[in-house]
Order: sequence, then structure tokens, then C-alpha cells
Amino acid sequence: MSSTIGITPPSGITPARQGLGSRLAALAKIVELGPGRVDPKLLTESGQLLLRAGDRLKLSSDHTVVALAGGTGSGKSSLFNSVSGLDLSPTGVRRPTTARTHACVWGLEGAGPLLDWLQIQWRHRFARASALDKGESRLHGLILLDLPDHDSIRALTDTEADRLIQVADLIVWVLDPQKYADASTHRRYVTELAGHDAVTIFVLNQADRLAPEELAECVADLEDLLRREGVEHPTIVTTSATTGKGVDNLKAVLADTVARRRAAIQRLEADLDRLTRRLAEVVPDEDAPPPPVAIDDARRIGLTDALCDAVGVPAVGEALENVYGVRSVEWVGWPYARWAARLRSDPLNSLNLGDIKDEIRGLTGGAVTAQPAEVDNAIQALADGLTGGMHETWQNGVRDAARSRSAQLPQVLSEELTEVAPSLDRVPAWWRALLAWQYLLVLLFVAGLAWVGTALAYGVFEVGELPANLEAFGDASSLPWVGLMMVAVLGLGLLTAMASRNFVVLGAGQERDRLEREMRRRVGTTAESMVIEPVERELARYNEFYTAVRSVRG
Amino acid sequence: MKSAANRPAPPGEGDHALGDAPREGSGDPSPDHSEAPGEQTVTFRAIRDDDLVSVHDEASPTAGEGPAAEGEESPAARGGEDETLSNGRVFSGDGTPPGDEGLSADPAGDADDPEAAAEEGRPGDAEPAEDRDDQDPAVPEHDRVSREDDPADPAGGSGEASGTVVASSGEDRDETEEGRSGDAEPAEPAEDRGEAETDQDGINAGEDETASGEDGTEADQDEDEAGESEAWATGDWVRETPLPEEVSEALTNALTGLRESVTDLSFGLDLPGAEEARRAQTEILTQLDDYVIPRVHTSTAPALIVIAGSTGAGKSTLLNTLANAKVSATGVRRPTTGTPVLACHPDDHEWFAEGGLLGSLERRQAPGAKPGLDGLVLVSTERLPQGVALLDTPDIDSVVEEHHEIAHRMLDAADLWIFVTTAARYADAPAWRLLRLAKERGARLAIVLSRVPPKSREVVTKHFVRMLTEYGLGEVERFVIDESKVVDGMLPDHEITELRLWLAELSVDDQRRTQAVRATLNGALDSFRTRVPALARQLEAQVAIRGQLRGDVDAAYTAALAEIDKATRNGSLLRGEMLARWQDFAGSGDLMRTLRLRKPGRFAGKASRQGPERLNALKTALRTGLESVIVSAAQRAAEETVSRWQHRPGAAETLALAPGLSRPSDELLRRTNRTVAAWQDHLVQLIRTEGVTKRAVTRLISFDVESLAVIFAVGLLGYGAAESEGKGALPQRLLHALFGAESLRNIGAKARSDLRARIGMLFDDETSRYIQVLDGAGIPDESAATRLYQATYNLEVAR
Repeated sequence: MSSTIGITPPSGITPARQGLGSRLAALAKIVELGPGRVDPKLLTESGQLLLRAGDRLKLSSDHTVVALAGGTGSGKSSLFNSVSGLDLSPTGVRRPTTARTHACVWGLEGAGPLLDWLQIQWRHRFARASALDKGESRLHGLILLDLPDHDSIRALTDTEADRLIQVADLIVWVLDPQKYADASTHRRYVTELAGHDAVTIFVLNQADRLAPEELAECVADLEDLLRREGVEHPTIVTTSATTGKGVDNLKAVLADTVARRRAAIQRLEADLDRLTRRLAEVVPDEDAPPPPVAIDDARRIGLTDALCDAVGVPAVGEALENVYGVRSVEWVGWPYARWAARLRSDPLNSLNLGDIKDEIRGLTGGAVTAQPAEVDNAIQALADGLTGGMHETWQNGVRDAARSRSAQLPQVLSEELTEVAPSLDRVPAWWRALLAWQYLLVLLFVAGLAWVGTALAYGVFEVGELPANLEAFGDASSLPWVGLMMVAVLGLGLLTAMASRNFVVLGAGQERDRLEREMRRRVGTTAESMVIEPVERELARYNEFYTAVRSVRG
Repeated sequence: MKSAANRPAPPGEGDHALGDAPREGSGDPSPDHSEAPGEQTVTFRAIRDDDLVSVHDEASPTAGEGPAAEGEESPAARGGEDETLSNGRVFSGDGTPPGDEGLSADPAGDADDPEAAAEEGRPGDAEPAEDRDDQDPAVPEHDRVSREDDPADPAGGSGEASGTVVASSGEDRDETEEGRSGDAEPAEPAEDRGEAETDQDGINAGEDETASGEDGTEADQDEDEAGESEAWATGDWVRETPLPEEVSEALTNALTGLRESVTDLSFGLDLPGAEEARRAQTEILTQLDDYVIPRVHTSTAPALIVIAGSTGAGKSTLLNTLANAKVSATGVRRPTTGTPVLACHPDDHEWFAEGGLLGSLERRQAPGAKPGLDGLVLVSTERLPQGVALLDTPDIDSVVEEHHEIAHRMLDAADLWIFVTTAARYADAPAWRLLRLAKERGARLAIVLSRVPPKSREVVTKHFVRMLTEYGLGEVERFVIDESKVVDGMLPDHEITELRLWLAELSVDDQRRTQAVRATLNGALDSFRTRVPALARQLEAQVAIRGQLRGDVDAAYTAALAEIDKATRNGSLLRGEMLARWQDFAGSGDLMRTLRLRKPGRFAGKASRQGPERLNALKTALRTGLESVIVSAAQRAAEETVSRWQHRPGAAETLALAPGLSRPSDELLRRTNRTVAAWQDHLVQLIRTEGVTKRAVTRLISFDVESLAVIFAVGLLGYGAAESEGKGALPQRLLHALFGAESLRNIGAKARSDLRARIGMLFDDETSRYIQVLDGAGIPDESAATRLYQATYNLEVAR
């Protein structure tokens, strides 16, 4: 009554169907992506809706299934008979009267499979051949169902009414002045199907029982009630099945609906809308920024940094530099200084722990490893940063994806990096050469000493005669030259030591840089394959889901 | 009439005999209790000869002070086990003078010759009396009690509700003869079957007397009622149903106890059945407040008949018709009635206006603007018979759910139910749910099938009756009202003649009404037997689940502690940065430089002292490593807890209340930081105080405690097994050489347990978040369920 249904041209059907089609496809996508992320009940309902929509859209689109639903005693069967013009469904005063659904078809061709799908028993199917009807052709394509009640004690064990209310294209709620505000109708169905305005008609039957002003009050009250329940534009028709008053109005409304052939689609759309509202709860609001599709560079770098810290890349580099420096002294240092240091008494020796030095040396040869707890925390931080604003199930999904290989990650990282990390006790060839050179210089020095000794002994103190071929060594005049040579040798050794020390430090610095770069690179690669990829897969899944929900929303 | 309070009491018994006696009745029938009859009582029946003697003996000293009072001491009572103690109740008819003497005269006469009184007093009314005798032969006391109020009477101020009422009634009697109907009610009839059984032996012998005594009571009552019309006309009538006061007291106590134990309950977890339990709790509470407790106090109130049924069934119309006035709004709007309307005879009006029944509802003169759970419209009309009050309720099945709640609350307070349904609705599921409820409750029920189209009257009625019979309600009183034109909210009077007659009968027939009242009361009390334990079971389930949830938290965090322990023992801590720093520290010679010779050798020269950078770096790395182990473990524990909770029924909703439980608290990082730093400091302290250096070493070597502490920590947590002999890992060997095995073990054990304690404290803070959520859910402790069982048991005992 309060809203009239306009007639839209049939050409409007095709785009609507496509719109519905793409929304259903999106719903199918959600059902595919949802498991584990969406409430299973919601998924089941979505699956059922998909099935139902598929079935209904396959079946006759020329027919409109209209269900007369309502409580016992409201006059569904009377109205059914009065619309069909025949006494097809038994009426009575005993409650409940109708136990099985009756169907009446205007225009039988193509309706059979639909009736089968609706599970209407053969003996309760009736057909009105339009030829027989005077002026009833406008109802052609109508399948009118007289449902059993949904509120009697019989209905507690029989869900037929419930089932058909869920599948009918158009629902006509048959109410009466006594029962129009029953919770069994309103709470279970009307409120639930509040968005179904377009495919719901409310009939206030038994209007003959009320005086006109009472009827008006009643209708106003009902309309008010329906609006409160979220039915924005309730269509209310008052009828009296016994006197026939108002039945024509109802027929006209039905004829409109049947002629437009849109009820089936509208019904599915309304169902979809309802489902979408609930689905939308697991994705952020429309105005929220869309979820990240990929992990941006900042996050990648952050992860690599954190993983590098977990491995201790900077510390490894530093240790490398320092240990090189210290150890190089043994090879390229000035041997005399080394020997002098050895003469110093060692606290370890006084503790009888002389052998611990080797152990310390052995320690520095250890491999590069990753600290599992820090790896964990790094991954956690990445997941936390990504999932802001997501629904909790998806947050968990991303986190689990990030962690999917976290158990192996420390191990893999350790192996990867150990490959590149030089062992700290490595001795470069030039160290050896320098060592040889230093020893050569020491030898020269020793030789010089010997020469000086000889020259002093034979040339200055003349303790004896040298063999002729060695006389040159006994020549005291060579002493200054030899002394000069020895000083030169010592100086050369010292200079070499200092120079090579500088080279070592320089080389170690370069080595450290190279090593750190290489380690970072490897950490980055490993993180990419073991963390980023699974996370991005999950993010893509989420994105697909998000898009699907938005497109289901239409 | 006096209580025993100001009478010299026998030594040693006095304490009990003093006005405390009624309280003792609350399930504590101590042997001493048998002395309680010393209390002054007036007895109308169940008086054996020996009793009379003693009663008179005891009563005589007080005769001067007050009315003749008679205590009853039955042999059974002396036996100690029963509570035959009966406080007689004096009531006065309209002709009774206000004076005490006058009061005492009648009862004394009755007591002396109850049978005579019975015969005299009940001409032509013998049948109901017999009925009663048949029904309650074993109930020994339906006594009337009246005590004179005494300012010094401890009973008066003892907080004992019943006692107070009684006392004040006495006061009223002394001071005024008006307001009888309101004041004279306090006698509390309650049937106590259990009591009756225990008493049976004791009173078998005296049963005849009891019966006759009861007759006497009846007689007396009927005497009053003989003058009913005048009495009612003056508003000075009293109807009483006798009840042994102790029983009533005991019952009141038990009920109060029950009420208390039910009040505190809360079902915070959404387990299956929690919602029902919450509703049941509210129901029980309102029923106790609105009905049971007031009813036990004053079972003599007019019977409350509640009209319930579907919306549009014509409840208000029925009430209007019965009241012959438009007292309740009718109309085509559904639902029509929002605020319950109580209609009663003007004489009952006062009782309902002040009475305890539905006491929590605000009395209103006209239907409120908005329906509320807290209002009750009270109207009086002459057309309704005396002693029955009709209550029009909101519907049970309309879209306004609050109405169902009000309706059920009314039904909880009902003595009789009139269930109204219509020809269109008689098969509705909500209607049958209500019938099932009535059946379960054992409520007294009458069914009205209204709005029946005359032409299908027979078919519908037959069908309905068949359904009722199948349901086991075939015997219920039924009325059929034809569909007819409603004028001014009323049906034609002839439609309800039968119903009116039924009400009138109920009104006149005190017997039947009392019976109905009592049956419903018993039904309600019976229902507690199952409803309260059901609550207790739900409570136990809640407590059990809470225990499990609590256990989940503990288990998760215990596992986290174990994980940390493992990580600090198996060497996984000494990885990554910490390992590199350690290598750096050791490899660069800083480790060696920690130790210094006291007498440097000749060649020591300037032993290169390096800055503390490496040591600090190692210390930081150690701290970071330990922190990350702890944080990671805490993270896992939080997730574990939440995932465990999610698999428990009812916890998911609780979790929803406190977001962020699935991750560690925001402060965790900071707290961990502090904890580890504190532990490191503590370690330095430990080494300083506990590290008793070997003397030989001390002479040679000095060391830096800070560095040693770090080395020690590396050895303890990085290599593990520091507590074992100082063999093996490098740091241990070093330290072993410095401190010796004993000292090293000590420090190791202390340091480790200290760390564990600190982490434990840290995790306690974490777990407290979950505990808070659990506590926030407000689940009572285990004892609440026990209290419930106890209260139920007490109630049974008291009955």
C-alpha cells in the first residue's frame, strides 16, 4: 500500500542479471578463499546461496514463485483459494490446517522442473490454464504456494515452511489482526529478511473483522512496526479472503511482479545483500585504505636489517676486523716485538691455564649463526606491521604465513652465511710471504751479528786467523758498514711491520665491507624466499578476498 | 500475649527460650529447642491434655502481664527432634475487643474445648474441614500466633523477619483495632512435609486431637467468616491460614539464604546454557521476591490469579468483562497491554497496594505511558469476588520481547493461572510452551478458549480438548467463550457466567482457594529442587571452565619458561650477534686483558689497555639475546593461550572483550629490558660478594668484576651447564681457575635461579592480564555452587 511497484521494461533484465552474475562469481571466490579465514557458518550459507542461485537461475525465468506464508489461522489457504478462484487447498477451523505445501501454476509450460526443485508433491500441484480464465492472463507465470504455518506446534518438527520461505521469489506474509505482531513471524523472518522489501508483501487478511477505523489503526501500527524492524518501504495490502475484498488488489500487485519477471533476481540480490553485510565484517570499512598487495621496500629492508641483527652481521664484521688485526701481528708484525711480549709473564700461565689460548684461538674459528629468538621477533615485527586494520583471522593468516618456515630459517641463514664468512683463522698468502721476509730480515740481522762478532774477534782482538776465503769477515774496517746494514735491516723489518699492519687494517676494513654486503645480500635473498614470498602469497589471497567482498557488495 | 523474653526462663534454657526460638527453627532443631515452647503461645489445636497442663502451668505466671498464653510442649517436642513447638496465633474477629483480656479469652476457651468449638463453629461447613483434615493429617501445626509486642523482646528486634512481623502485629492489636486486614496476616502457613514426617511418630497418638484441633481452628475461622459480610463491609475481617511459626521462620530463613546465594551468582562465560542460567537466576530471584517469600510470610493473602496468553487473545477484554469496567486497555493494536493490571475487590486493595506479593513492582493508578518492568496498575472493583485478584499480563508471544519477560514474571507470582487462547491460536507453539511450563511447575491452571466462532465451536473445542488430553492436560478446568462483539472493551456478560461462577466459588470456598494457593506455592518450592541445582551445575561448569582457562594460561607460560630455560642451556643463546661479539671479545685479546698481574713482569711495559667498547658490546649483545629469547617466548605463550582459549567453549566472547590478548603486553619489551639489566647488575653483585677468589690467585692476579660478570654470564647462558664442574667451556675454565669449583657452582646456581625468578615475575605480570579478563567475567568461586546446594538442602529441611 505504501509503495507501489513500478513496471520496468524487460530490457532491464539483462544487465541486472549480469550484475548478479558477477556478484555471484565474487561470492564463489569468497567461498573458495574463505575456509579458515571466515566463520564456517557464513561460508556454508554462502555456498548454499550459490547453489540456490545457480539452480534458480537455470530454471524457468518466466515463472515467479510466490509463497503465502504466515501463522496458523491467518487465512493463507483461504487467500490461496480466493486468488486461484478454486477450492484447491483445504481450509478449516482446526489448527493447524495445512500440513503440506500446495501450489497453483498459471501457465504450466516450463514450470515442472521448478516445482520439482521446490519439492512440491505431485498431488498438491494445480494448474490454471490461462485460456480458461477470464482476465487472468496477467497472472501468467505465477506459481502460488500455500505454505504450512511456521508457528504452530506442528511446525516445531516440520521445516517445510522455513525452507520454502528461504527459496521463494516473492513472499507474501499473510497476517491477521490477531496475529500481526507475533514474535514468531517478526523475529524469525521479517527482521532477518529486512532488506527484502522488493520481494516481500504484507497482507493483512481478515480485514472484515475490523471496523474501517480499526483497520486503519491496525495498518498504521503494522507499518510502524515493520519500519522499526528495518523494512524501509513495506508493501501492505489489506484483504478479506472470506468476503473477497482486497483480493483483487493483491492480484494486481502479484500481476505486476509476475509481469516484470524480476522477483527471482531481486530475491537473490536481497539474499546476497544480507550475506554481504555479514561478510563485510571480516574486511575493513570501505573508506579504509586498501590492504597492501606487496611488501614495500621499507619493510623488506626492515626485515633484512632485523635478520642481519639476528645473525649479528655487524658484529661479525667487526670481529673479523679486530681479530684480523690482532692475529696479523703474529704473521706480519715485527718479530722482535712479538718475542719481547712472550717474555712477559702471562696471567694464564700463573693459573695453569696456558692451553686456554689455543681454545680462544679455536673459538674465533667458529661459524656464523642466527639467533632463533631474534629471527622470530623479526618475523613477528614484519607481520605486525603489515596486518594493521585487518580482521583478526587474516592477521593470524599473515602471521602464520610469515612463520611458515621460521623453524628452518635460522638454520638456513647460518648455512648460507657460513659459506661466505671467512674463517677468522684464515691466513692470507701475503702474510706468509711477509713472515718469510721478516724472518729473512731476522736472518740477515743474525748474519750481521755474526759478521760483527767475527770482525770484532778476528779484526779487532785478533784471536786467531781466519781461513783465507773468509778473511773478508775479519776485516774490522767493515764494521761500520755491517752495523749500518744491521740497523737498516732492523729498520726495514719495523717499517715492513708497520706498513703491512696498515695494509692488514685496510684490507680487513675492505674485507669487512665486502663481507657485510655479501651477508646482507644473502640474508635478503633467504628472507625473500622464506618469509616474503609466503607472506605475499597470503596478502594476495587477502587482497583477492577483499576485492571479492567489495564486488559482492556491488 | 508475650514472648518468653521477659519471663524468667529456666536456667540453661533461657537463652534458647528467649525470643530466639523462631530462628532456631531454621533447620537447627537442637535438643534445647524443645524448651522453646516455654515461649508464650496461644494454641488452638493439637493440644494434648498433658500439653495443656504444662501450658497452663507455664502460662500462669504471665497471666497478669498479658493475655492468657499457652505454650505447647508435646512429648515429641521434648524428644528434641521435631519442632512441634507451635506458636498459637490469636486473631480477633470483628467483635473482639482490643484489649488483651478479650483476646485471650477466646483462644483459651477454644483451646480448652476445641471439639466443642468445632462443633459449634461449623454448622453446615463441615465438609471443607474434613477435606482439610484428609489432606493434611500429618501437618501438626496450623497454629495461630500472636505475641504481644514487648519493647524489650529480643525477638522483636532480632532481625528475624517473621518475628518482627508478628511482633508488630501484636502491637497493632494493642493499639488499634483498625487495619486488621493488613495487620493480622502474619501467621505463616507453610506446609512442611518433611517436618510432618519426622513428627509423625511423635504426634500419631495425638493425631485425633490434632485433627479436632484443626477443626477448632477452622471453626474459629468460620466463625469469623460467618460474620464475613459485616466484617468485610467494615474492612475489618481477617482470614488466616494457620501455619506453625517455626516452620515459617525456618522456611523464610531458608528462602532468604537461597535468595542470597542466588543473588551473588554471575555467569560470565558464554557456555552453552549460560544464557538460560542467567535467565533462570533472574527468574528465581524475582519469583522469590515477588511471590515465594511474601507468600510464605502471608499465605493468607487473596489468591492471585494471573491471566496469561497470546497477544490478541482477549486477556484484557476478559478482565474488563469480569471486572465489569474498563480497567485494562483493549484495542486492535498488537500487543495491547504493556503494563500488568491487577484487579481485586476493594477490600483486598490495601493488601495488594502494600503487600509483599510483586513487591518489587511500582504500584500505579493508571497504565503508565510506557510499558515497563517496574510497574503494576492496581484497580479495585466490587464486581470481583473477595479473596481472588485477577492480574492481566502482557502477552507471551508478541514482537515486544519485554512483554514475555513481564508475563513470565507475573506467572512466577501466580497462585492460579488462567490461560487464554483463541480459536485461531490454540495450536501456536508459544501457547503450548506456556502450557508445558505450567505443567512443569505444577501450577494450578484454568484454560479459556475465547473468540470461538459459534458455528465451529464444537469442532474447535473437540480438537482442542483432544490436544490437551494428548498432552496430559485433559483434566484442566476449561471455559469456552464465543466470538462476540466487544463493546467498550467488554464481552457480553453471559459469555463469562461460568468463569464468574468459578471465581465466586473460589472466593467463597476458602478451603479450595487455600489449597490452590498452597499447591502453587508447593509447586514453586518444588521447582527449586531442580532449578537451583541446575544453576549450581551451570556454575560448576563455569568454575570448571574458568579453572581450565586459568590452567591454559599457566600451561602456556610455564612452557614459555621452560623454553627460555632450554634456550639458555643448550647454547642456542650463544648465536648470532652474541657469538660474534664473544668471538670479537675473546679473539681480540680483551678476554685476556681482563686479568691483570699484580706484579707485571719486567717486560710488561705498557700493557695495552683498550677501551671498554668490546666489553660493552658483548654485554649489550648478551642482553639483547636474552631479551629476544624472553620476548619471543612470551609472544608464543600469548598466542598459545589465546588459541587454547579459542578452543574452549565460552571463552571466545570473553576474549573479544579484551583485544590484544593474543600478543604480549605493550610494556613487555621495556619490562624485559629492565629485568635483564637488573639481573646483570645482580650478577656483578653476586660475583663481588660470593666470588671468593683463591688466595693463591689473589696474590698474582687482579681482575675487573664487570668483565668477569659478563664472561660468567656468557659461560652460564651461552654454554650452559655452568653449574656442573668447571671443566669444558672456556669461560667456565677461566672462572674455575679464579674461584674454584665450589664458589663457581654457588654463583651459577644463584644467578640462574635469580634469572628464573625475575622472568617468572615478568610473566606473572603478563598472565595477570588474562586473570583480569577472567575475573572481569565475574565467575564466582567454587563455594558458590556449594552454597547453592546447601541452600536447596536447607530449604528442603525447612519444609
